[in-house]
Amino acid sequence: MRLLQKTNRAYFLISGTAFIIAGVVFYFVISFFFKDQLNEKLMSDIKVIISTIKRNGTLPNYYPFIEIREVSVQSERSYETVDILIFDAIEKKEIPFRQISLVDSINGKKYFIAARDTLLEEDDLLEAIAIVTSSVFILLLISLYFINRKLSLNIWKPFYKTLDELKEFSHDKPGFRLSSVSKLDEFTELNKTLEKLTQKVISDYQSLKRFTEDASHEIQTPLAVIQSKLETLMQYPDLKKDQAELINSAYVYTLRISKLTQTLLLLTKIANDQFPERRAVNLSELLEEKINIFEDHINGKSLIIKKEIEPECFLETNFFLAESLVVNLIGNAVKHSITGGIINIRLDKYHLEISNPGKPLSVPALNLFDRFYKTDKSSDSQGLGLAIVKEICKLNKWEIRYEHKEDLHKVIVNF
Amino acid sequence: MKILIIEDEKELVGTIKNFLESEGFLCETAYSYFEAEDSLSAFNYDIIILDLTLPGGDGLDLIKLIKVRNRQAGLLIVSAKNSLDDKIRGLDMGADDYITKPFHLAELNSRIKSLARRRHFEGANELIFNEIKINFDSAEVFINDTIIDLTKKEYEILLYFIVNRNKVITREAIAEHVWGDNISYADNYDFIYSHIKNIRKKIEMNNGLNYLHNIYGIGYKFSER
Repeated sequence: MRLLQKTNRAYFLISGTAFIIAGVVFYFVISFFFKDQLNEKLMSDIKVIISTIKRNGTLPNYYPFIEIREVSVQSERSYETVDILIFDAIEKKEIPFRQISLVDSINGKKYFIAARDTLLEEDDLLEAIAIVTSSVFILLLISLYFINRKLSLNIWKPFYKTLDELKEFSHDKPGFRLSSVSKLDEFTELNKTLEKLTQKVISDYQSLKRFTEDASHEIQTPLAVIQSKLETLMQYPDLKKDQAELINSAYVYTLRISKLTQTLLLLTKIANDQFPERRAVNLSELLEEKINIFEDHINGKSLIIKKEIEPECFLETNFFLAESLVVNLIGNAVKHSITGGIINIRLDKYHLEISNPGKPLSVPALNLFDRFYKTDKSSDSQGLGLAIVKEICKLNKWEIRYEHKEDLHKVIVNF
Repeated sequence: MKILIIEDEKELVGTIKNFLESEGFLCETAYSYFEAEDSLSAFNYDIIILDLTLPGGDGLDLIKLIKVRNRQAGLLIVSAKNSLDDKIRGLDMGADDYITKPFHLAELNSRIKSLARRRHFEGANELIFNEIKINFDSAEVFINDTIIDLTKKEYEILLYFIVNRNKVITREAIAEHVWGDNISYADNYDFIYSHIKNIRKKIEMNNGLNYLHNIYGIGYKFSER
């Protein structure tokens, strides 16, 4: 929910409740003051009537507002206030009246004197209050909505700008700065904090990157020394068989560590998005070229390659990574295919599919793309090929999935 | 032929130097940025081997200096960073070739000889070893002046052997040279074996001698024995 929506909703709820309460209070206050005022007026009316009778001896009678009649009661009665309903012949309905009455003796006669006036009808009053309060309420809401909108456009502008800039943030772009300026302390502080945070992320990333590269360099150099020493040792002409075997074994394992370090460095680099150069890569050509590298392996296993490669499929990506992806996928299919099997390679602008016949997986398919996950523990492969493929897909936002049907292993990449 | 090796790891420099000297090259060494600067300012070299990660400065800056002081020298970059950026920048700045550390000595030798060929024997595009003659331009091999029909991979392997003659070459070095470093399956050995068998057969069919000897447990050696 957007902030504006949220505040508008809160304003609506709060002011709605406030207006309902105000309406009720308003109703009671108005009717109290009105009745009070009416009482005073009716009392003074009675006084005027009494003095008129005393002076003129006539009995004014304006029914239903003034009613005077002679009565024969013993005692005088003091003021009495009642609300009564009187039928109105013109409106043809009963109308509520307030009546103040008195029995008084004037010039020796006893009179019942009543002064009356119409009371406001309840529903009229309610209606009036409802109309007034709701129209004020609607007016308030409309103005609140516009004020809020304007405020959010102005006040929140730097915030949204900051947000947009943060979305562009990448840990490998040094010198990242937030450009928005706000007069509001909260946003200034937010920007300061964010800048501090991003600087920290960038410097941490830089040092991690330096560390990975340095570590790899530090490992590769001794390995290069060992490798060259062993190669020099191999040159001695009088090596015995068992000596040669020892040297070769040390040599093969040295190469393995070195290859492993390089591959792990590559994985780190892909994960850190350190392959910035992107261009249109002709995947069709690349695929054909890389299939040729495996010529010996394909012939050696009597494999049949069935290609359905749409020509001129271009992908905007890093060439080295595209190459790595293709080599790993083809290599994988060739390696795990049964002898004499058919490898299907399909490419169009949206997918790459490579399938090979093979034994059912001995591990859950879910773990297939994990690092160091080998289907065969004794194999001397690194178990990193598919992890590299997965990282490359992740970096390029391509979807990769594995399917297994009737002894056919299929890897599909959706671009 | 004079080579300058710029590399900070003394042990590695020593091995490279010995290997290249046994191949008939004259080698000088520089262990730091400043030593390299001195040597480059004072002498001329035919080939320079440059490690990009050096104490005292960025190896890429040395390329600029080499391009000013030793413009005619062939430049081979060595780096432990198998970073594509450095490779591209290095080649853009005028390096002739690039090799990643760790490397096979035979591979280094092959790259240097290829550089040397391009620098110094312009026109002389042939390599002759006894009855074997290789023409680099046409990628053709002759035995006693009869052309033999080699596949591309067989040609590459034979050339690699002749360039590194009298040296023991490991199967891994051959595999990396032929298939690149993206495939290194142990079953490559079988393919190497069958390629070498074919090369021997084709040479012997044309009355050439068998110079390709098995070195038990390690690999092969191309020599007169």
